[in-house]
Amino acid sequence: MGKIKKLYFPFTRAGIQSALMYSVNMIFFSLSELLYCFVMFYVWKAVFAASGGEDFMGFDMQDMFLYLFMTNVTAYLTMSQADNAIAEEIKDGSISMRLLKPVNFNLSVLFKDIANPIILFVMVFVPMTVCIEIYRGVTAGMVMFQPLNCLFYLLSGAVAYLISFYMNMSFGFLAFYVTNLWGMGILKKILLKFLSGAVIPLAFMPTILKNILSFLPFASLSYTPVMIYMGKYSITEMLLNFGLQIFWLVMMFLLCKLIWKSAIKRLCVQGG
Amino acid sequence: MIHVENLRKEFKKTIKEPGLKGSVKGLFHPKSEMIAAVDDISFHVPKGEILGFIGPNGAGKSTVIKMLTGILTPTSGSCTINGKNPTADRKKYVKEIGVVFGQRTQLWWDLPLRETYGVLKEIYEVSDKDFKKKMAFLNEVLELDDFIGSPVRTLSLGQRMRADIAASLLHSPKVLFLDEPTIGLDVVVKNNIRNAIMEINRTEKTTVILTTHDISDIELLCSRIVMVDKGKKVYDGSLDALKSKYGIMRELDFVPEEGDGFSADEFCKGVSLKGEDFKLENQNGKYKVRFNSEKMAVKDMLTYMLSKTDAKDITIRDADIEEIIRRLYKEGVDDIG
Repeated sequence: MGKIKKLYFPFTRAGIQSALMYSVNMIFFSLSELLYCFVMFYVWKAVFAASGGEDFMGFDMQDMFLYLFMTNVTAYLTMSQADNAIAEEIKDGSISMRLLKPVNFNLSVLFKDIANPIILFVMVFVPMTVCIEIYRGVTAGMVMFQPLNCLFYLLSGAVAYLISFYMNMSFGFLAFYVTNLWGMGILKKILLKFLSGAVIPLAFMPTILKNILSFLPFASLSYTPVMIYMGKYSITEMLLNFGLQIFWLVMMFLLCKLIWKSAIKRLCVQGG
Repeated sequence: MIHVENLRKEFKKTIKEPGLKGSVKGLFHPKSEMIAAVDDISFHVPKGEILGFIGPNGAGKSTVIKMLTGILTPTSGSCTINGKNPTADRKKYVKEIGVVFGQRTQLWWDLPLRETYGVLKEIYEVSDKDFKKKMAFLNEVLELDDFIGSPVRTLSLGQRMRADIAASLLHSPKVLFLDEPTIGLDVVVKNNIRNAIMEINRTEKTTVILTTHDISDIELLCSRIVMVDKGKKVYDGSLDALKSKYGIMRELDFVPEEGDGFSADEFCKGVSLKGEDFKLENQNGKYKVRFNSEKMAVKDMLTYMLSKTDAKDITIRDADIEEIIRRLYKEGVDDIG
């Protein structure tokens, strides 16, 4: 552990320094995510108004507000950028410079990528959650914040990030085969948004679809941690879903290793 | 130290037929063929040698370097460096080598240079004491002080290259691979870099493999050269041997004294050399004699010339290595080695 810290923390430190260098970019990106949350919120508000009922499949408007904002913040935080980073390195050949370092390939990418959620946690998650909880507290007239749920949420969110990392690494390695991944990346992003329940809560979907989707790894990315935060799970449900997350983490890790082993043999560094 | 045996690397190359029609066709029926970028290359390098690895663009030099550094896996053949196979145990192997690709950088693009060195120190597990000593040395030969606090993306090409070379030497590698380290640099920086390479080779017995198109790099640094063309080795030996084989031609330039009746025809008649071995050119009153110095010694040619005319402005030149290499590139080599 001490060795890992010594070898790989420099990557995180460098990642944070690099990311802060482009902090304006990050601020605008965060603002656009926030704007998206508000758009979704008003869309759902219209849906609730049209349906006439206070309660919609176990969600009231309060829940919906919390769900939309938390899901998007969670997805934003746990979404790994590793696929872009790795595809770019493969495309321009700078992957060779990484291969020349005496470090584990995946870990060096992970520790650099982790800089993102660390910064976003401080810059976006903490202020957003405080605002959300103040809003909830004021409208409900009492403190709604559950510290224990929040703690489990963070734990589940960390696992979600790791799943996302290995999933995106595997996706990024496709660049070994197709060289330019940009178009596929857009498709992937939109599919993920839908499949992980960021657009429509999985709870609203038809039972069969809901059951399938909640078993797939995509639900582990943001739906599971948010449900934990909202206190929608009983203890058993929480443990079960957490176990499922761990299962997918292991699967994604193995998939990533497998793809790496065959992809590295295909490497042909372009130019120079 | 370095053993390369029958190294071969094939690439799949997609063939696109010309024009829009070809592009559309390629979408449905992509055609491809295998191309051998490196074909059966073998050589050995003893410890402490500086080997010049030369050849025209696209000859396969960089591909060989990439296989030797473990980035590419050879299609067949083997390379062993320090008793290690580069691709089999990448992490352990790369710890013992330093690599500079002239067209890429290993520095952290957004960080000040100093930070990159700090990161490398941790990754290569260099002790504080060694790090300090090394940085002092690198500072001295490569003059990093002026820009060590600036972010890498703001460095000029010359500064970046010096910084990159310093980065590759930080962990005292046993073998140093330099792929065109002086490309696009001015004379001062080139000198800086050559000095650093010579210093490190002298003090630490670092084996250096160097690819370059700059002939002075080779003349100043390399005791031995390996030349490749179209993926095949065409020459392996010392620079001097190459010179003596191809560099026996000398050039004598002179301007005859006006009014002493110098005649080119008469001058030619008095020389017994024939054909390729002798050539006289008149360039606006300045005469150029190219002759084979093995068949007629430089001294004799000079005496003969002085007996014919009271010449002024006399120069004698070696056929330069650049000329030799240009000829080798053009004609290929069959019988040398």
